[in-house]
Amino acid sequence: MMARVFAVCRVVLGALFIWAAVTKLPDIAAFAQDVANYRVIPAALVPIVAAAVVGIELLAGIALVIGVMDRPAAAVLAVLLAAFIALLAQALLRGIDLRCGCFGGDERASWWTVVRDLVMLAAAVAVARGPLPARTNVTNPA
Amino acid sequence: MGVLVRAVLLCFVGSVLGIAGNALSPHPARLGIPVHATAESNDAVCQDPRTSVARISVEEAKPLCIACTAAFVDARSAQEYAAGHITGAVHLAPGQPAGPLLPKLSAAPTVIVYDRDRDCAAADQIAVLLKSNGVRDVRVLTGAWPEWLAGGGPGESGTCSLCAEGRQ
Repeated sequence: MMARVFAVCRVVLGALFIWAAVTKLPDIAAFAQDVANYRVIPAALVPIVAAAVVGIELLAGIALVIGVMDRPAAAVLAVLLAAFIALLAQALLRGIDLRCGCFGGDERASWWTVVRDLVMLAAAVAVARGPLPARTNVTNPA
Repeated sequence: MGVLVRAVLLCFVGSVLGIAGNALSPHPARLGIPVHATAESNDAVCQDPRTSVARISVEEAKPLCIACTAAFVDARSAQEYAAGHITGAVHLAPGQPAGPLLPKLSAAPTVIVYDRDRDCAAADQIAVLLKSNGVRDVRVLTGAWPEWLAGGGPGESGTCSLCAEGRQ
């Protein structure tokens, strides 16, 4: 049963990140602007970071969906999501009004976006850790 | 090979893939050119190509404000609104119900929405909300509140009495 839950988490998370990357690919310049609007990453690094994030999201998403290197992929996405949450929270706390850059659209960043990312982070951490091993009964030989 | 090593490898390959994908994108990020935040850039004012909401400049909006031929909507926080806003503007921030203000806004020939940043994300959100509620001519003020102030547009301070009446 738990294995099925983990499999569903893995595939859904992977599909979400494939979708996130595919929606950004047609306009990476706009995504780079969204990244810059968080006012954390140095301007010179913004374009390369934006392009790299799209590639990592796509590759990690594919890895999760097909189940190859799924735990490393989930770990990478967990780190990415933690970074997204930190970026969103600092922007919201500083009163910066911006688009989140989440799925290639013009969705505005809000605390709801943070909650959504926290849910995905929980799923990514669970997949990265893998299903807990089944308990075995140890009998005392004595 | 441990999970960490594979994760680093995945990041590296993913980054290379992303940079290659950027080269093939119809609108690629220009890798050698720094990208500054919209709010810190004087020439980039609410011109996000992804939005379908019409824009209006401060120069175009000022006469409409003076002649009272447009309704203004302030999409910033209540505190920012109270500290200073466009004369006659009502307050409607993201997350608040638009219903109580709709009769007044629907009756106006033009509704102009503005927020605090040149990114105009909040103003766009409110503009889309108003359009979906039947308000016909909705525009977003390019340059937002900072540009209005810099352009010497009329302003006032205080809370929104109309909004308070409508939300009771």
